[in-house]
Amino acid sequence: MEPLSDIIIDIRGMSFSRGSRTIFDDISIRVPRGKVTAIMGPSGTGKTTLLKLIGGQLKPDSGQILLEQDDIPKLGRRELFLARERMGMLFQSGALFTDMSVFENVAFPLRVHTDLTGDMIRDIVLMKLQAVGLRGAARLMPSELSGGMARRVALARAIALDPDIVMYDEPFTGQDPIAMGVLVNLIRRLNQALGHTSIIVSHDIKETLSIADYVYMVADGHVIAQGSPDELAAVDSEQVRQFMQGLPDGPVPFHYPAPDLMQDLLQETP
Amino acid sequence: MLDWIQTLGESALSRLAAFGRAGQLLMQSLIARPAPFTMFPLLVQQLYFVGVLSLVIIVVSGGFIGMVLGLQGYTILVDYGSEQAVGQMVALSLVRELAPVVTALLFAGRAGSALTAEIGLMKATEQLASLEMIGVDPLRRVIAPRFWAGFISLPILTVIFSVVGVWGGAIVAVDWLGIYDGSFWANMQHSVDFYEDVLNGIIKSIVFGAVVTWIAVFEGYDCVPTSEGISQATTRTVVFSSLAVLGLDFILTALMFGEL
Repeated sequence: MEPLSDIIIDIRGMSFSRGSRTIFDDISIRVPRGKVTAIMGPSGTGKTTLLKLIGGQLKPDSGQILLEQDDIPKLGRRELFLARERMGMLFQSGALFTDMSVFENVAFPLRVHTDLTGDMIRDIVLMKLQAVGLRGAARLMPSELSGGMARRVALARAIALDPDIVMYDEPFTGQDPIAMGVLVNLIRRLNQALGHTSIIVSHDIKETLSIADYVYMVADGHVIAQGSPDELAAVDSEQVRQFMQGLPDGPVPFHYPAPDLMQDLLQETP
Repeated sequence: MLDWIQTLGESALSRLAAFGRAGQLLMQSLIARPAPFTMFPLLVQQLYFVGVLSLVIIVVSGGFIGMVLGLQGYTILVDYGSEQAVGQMVALSLVRELAPVVTALLFAGRAGSALTAEIGLMKATEQLASLEMIGVDPLRRVIAPRFWAGFISLPILTVIFSVVGVWGGAIVAVDWLGIYDGSFWANMQHSVDFYEDVLNGIIKSIVFGAVVTWIAVFEGYDCVPTSEGISQATTRTVVFSSLAVLGLDFILTALMFGEL
């Protein structure tokens, strides 16, 4: 793996639980700078939770989440908000502000965090929208956009402040093949053009593997495999193979735990 | 039996915890870090949504309640030959009781429920989370302006309710039933005291404004972000604020007029 100085986010021995349910158990993940890192795993393994932990919206029970030198869970409110200015996040739903136009949505982070003049903000917003191919949609309201377009606008908003890290929460879910292709292309191209670090959380195997430089596979609170997409394809583990090939039954069973079928059927209704 | 005690304790604990969270929300959004300059345009926008758009329901209800009071008052008082006192009856019942209470109840239904649903949906669609990730505190940006808008609007709406109500009473009593307008207004002027009656009514409405909006923004912010959770939160807003208004009204009335 990369030398330490090229690690932008270093998660060390982090545990997190919700109620009595352990979501992460002593997990360690390193995100190399300037690369596309994918975090994959079945639904319900807390991939979105991981992004929220990195963004400081949740606090781990133990362990460190280092953004360069800063331990995110230990930051005060002000420092945390400063750290967040270095991160952009693309939410699964897009999470556009429904009371603002597309233009205002993208301009919002600039208006809040910079003292730029109106003209400059306009230029930046139009450039960001151009990058996602939606400059023509600047005057539309979020309700007038298709799902794929909304996600692209949200992406333009996430990169408005030129963040060091862009986090994508399930960017491909619920997209038609064309929108999916556009997004895959965009994420890769933006990563190269802007030189930021990308973290993709996803369970869309084909799309994610096509753009990821390094992949962590998470299940049951642990990293069960890691490596480049090629290395991962060669991993000799039932669990990894089941996920990568989408097999319906395997270590992750098809059936939810239940008593024996025959017994269940023969049982009298109480 | 043990189960029953356990559920009782559990629900009491969760209510207490919710109350604590509500206090924390109020503290963090209003008192700890006020930002008057960035908030002003947002506040004006919310004053429009919460206050101005509630005007129709307040004016219409105020008018009808005043008219009913005039009519009912007349039919009772005319038996004793003191129908001239209709003016003071209408005015006193409005400014002391009906205007603050009915306005607050209508406000909870019209504006409180809308606030809860709006904030709840913002939570469900991750807009609050995305504000946080952009580095903007949703408590300041979303909660604080809405709270202040409700707090400022309700007393003003209450005064409007009273004025329209008195006018409605006058239309029925003077123009329709033919009470001499000089005695109608003179009796009213004579018996309504500014501090005792008008000011106390406004104090009530200030308290109701704070409580109703507090409940509304808290329920929205604290809701379970699903369609079911939002509908429950909206219901809770209307039920809790109505109960709080009626209960507080009794307490405030006892404090204000108790020794009369």
